[in-house]
Amino acid sequence: MNAGGRTNRLVLAAIWVVLLAAPFWLNLVGGYTALGSRVLVLGLAAMSLNFLLGFTGVLSFGHAAWFGLGAYGAGLALKFVALSTPLAMLLGTLTGGIAGALLGALIVHRRGIYFAMVTIAFGQVFYYIAYRWNSLTGGDDGLRGFSRQPLAFGPMRVDILNNSTLFYYFVLVCFAVAVGIMALLLRSPFGRTMLAIRENERRARFLGIPIELHIWIAFALSCVFISFSGTLYALLNNFADPNNLYYSLSGDLVIMAVMGGMRVFWGPLLGAAVFVVLQDYVSSLTTNWMSFIGLLFVLVVLFFPRGLLGMLRQRRVA
Amino acid sequence: MDRMNSLGAIGRRSIIKTAAAAALAPLAAPTIIAARGETPLRIGMIDPLTGAYAAVARDEVTGAQLALSRVNAKGGILGRQVELLVEDSANDVGTGVQKAHKLIDRDHVDFMIGDVNSAIAQAIAQVSSQNRILHIVSGGHTDGITGKDCKWNVWRVCNTTRMEANSVCGTLFQKYGKKWHFITPDYSFGHTLQSAIEANLKKLGGTVTGAELTPLGTSDFSAYLIKARAANPDVLILLVQGQDMVNCLKQIVQFGINKQVKVAGTQQELESLEALPPQARVGTWMFEWYWKQPGVPHVAEFVADIRKVNNGKVPTARHWFGFTSLYTFALIAAQEKTTDGLKLARALGGFELPPEIKLQPNKVYYRAGDHQLMLSAFVGEAQEHGSDDPDDLFKVDRVIAGDEIAPPVDETGCHLTWPS
Repeated sequence: MNAGGRTNRLVLAAIWVVLLAAPFWLNLVGGYTALGSRVLVLGLAAMSLNFLLGFTGVLSFGHAAWFGLGAYGAGLALKFVALSTPLAMLLGTLTGGIAGALLGALIVHRRGIYFAMVTIAFGQVFYYIAYRWNSLTGGDDGLRGFSRQPLAFGPMRVDILNNSTLFYYFVLVCFAVAVGIMALLLRSPFGRTMLAIRENERRARFLGIPIELHIWIAFALSCVFISFSGTLYALLNNFADPNNLYYSLSGDLVIMAVMGGMRVFWGPLLGAAVFVVLQDYVSSLTTNWMSFIGLLFVLVVLFFPRGLLGMLRQRRVA
Repeated sequence: MDRMNSLGAIGRRSIIKTAAAAALAPLAAPTIIAARGETPLRIGMIDPLTGAYAAVARDEVTGAQLALSRVNAKGGILGRQVELLVEDSANDVGTGVQKAHKLIDRDHVDFMIGDVNSAIAQAIAQVSSQNRILHIVSGGHTDGITGKDCKWNVWRVCNTTRMEANSVCGTLFQKYGKKWHFITPDYSFGHTLQSAIEANLKKLGGTVTGAELTPLGTSDFSAYLIKARAANPDVLILLVQGQDMVNCLKQIVQFGINKQVKVAGTQQELESLEALPPQARVGTWMFEWYWKQPGVPHVAEFVADIRKVNNGKVPTARHWFGFTSLYTFALIAAQEKTTDGLKLARALGGFELPPEIKLQPNKVYYRAGDHQLMLSAFVGEAQEHGSDDPDDLFKVDRVIAGDEIAPPVDETGCHLTWPS
């Protein structure tokens, strides 16, 4: 038990060292800093989805909606409310989080395929709103005309707009805060209850746990986290567009989570890294890059049903 | 087991040798690179090679590659060979922006081309202008790119939606009548285009009998067409694009509407006409460039060169966009003897394309006020079969010069701010 704890701490330290040093080693292996930022943002989104999928056992196929709402919320705040990056992130997170919490209350009574279908349907509602409301969202052309603003700490200014390395570290700090809260939640009694629901919902119900309430809270929290990553995505691109809300992005996020390992906390980050890096490299070589990602996904599901990281963990235990 | 061990012994030696060779290899490498002379100049091109615009995007890349081979055959740009790095934006803004960072941060491109999708074009323009990279939008038509969202480093080769609307309206009004009805795709592109045409029609003194807003991806247009016919217009204006255009035209011909009402629209592409059955190739349209221009210098040569790399098919407007975008960099850099983005952006104002690039009769130049290329519009009629070539599906009636159809600069909403 003790040895396992030490290994875990070592793995954790290794992950953070790799992430902290990314701007230095990325260029050496043919990458670039913006790629690292994208991995972090989509990794956080996949981890937020996995908060629900992997730890509560509920599959949402419409999480892109909350991701996109976060992105649009942040963009609209920067464009119309005030030129402040933190405020935009707060408003974006609230937009997606509140919308998710409200609609989640309608969805949590469904289970399995019905739950997934209803989440797709609600997701598409937001997609079409963004697509059609030209005067506010820019419609199909996307929301533009905003850009992330330099951060001000008293007299000190951090120029995250023009310096991509600084922006990477900004994303990393946000990522760390969100992931830290997520980990604390999972360790709390509430997190244990989520696991109990995942493992055996009927038994948990007989133990007197209010299942719907817990799934609703998990859903709402997951929406808050993914909207937060959506705000980062808007800041990364200085742009929000309807595809941020589209169900194909929801599917991509599920692929990342499953590929990386949905029972492992860090699995979705690895899944996102593999997905984004593979897309980046293979799409420069061939237009059939989707086939390669599809092939990898099929291989992972067939041979490592616990995902890439889940498999490593299993080996170690064995 | 023994055999494996003996293999292992040999393996160890060869591993040591290989490792030594690998360790020494980098020492030898720099001399080889130094002997190569100056590094090539790099042009990045981002286009949606997968997704809804894949076909037209590939045509733009083919055109740019033709320009690349011609430029390199003549000694490159300022004596440096040119490399074209093509990246797929997958028709997604996030991916497009990421690819722009990749080309600029990692590959250190000197110039950028792209994208067919207007939204992606505008998103990557933000990246290119932050990094002071000269950028040509090859195929995104939204007015904003050379309108209220214009940027000092961004120039556009294809038309704006306003220019497309302006090119056909006069002809339609004079020839076919003043009551118009619209079939409009229900998203921002369709709405912008419709309001541009309505503004034209109002100026000319015509009326709108109605507009049918159709969702993108409509396959059954019958309800809309019945309503449109009942309104009894003189001209039915189709603003739908791609597969929607193909479906809509097929049904118009099935219902015989083209015999009662004049069918017309703005931009039409050869790719769409080829996808139609011959009897559905009807209507008045504008092409942004057309391959059959007897008597215009250098066009035949261009058509022949593209045929060689395009499975024997003729070039479309998209080939010409890619070709012109890349060639512009070569020409302006040669004229100014620099690759500095800011200096070249200033020099492009008023820059006129020579006959071997413009491939059309009128004067073609980059307008300084809004950074829009003043290219001609080819207005004419779709035809069932070409007289001497199966690819000749369009009969050009008029070639209108770009500055006749472009709105004046102060109406575009473009205010350029230059870096110090």
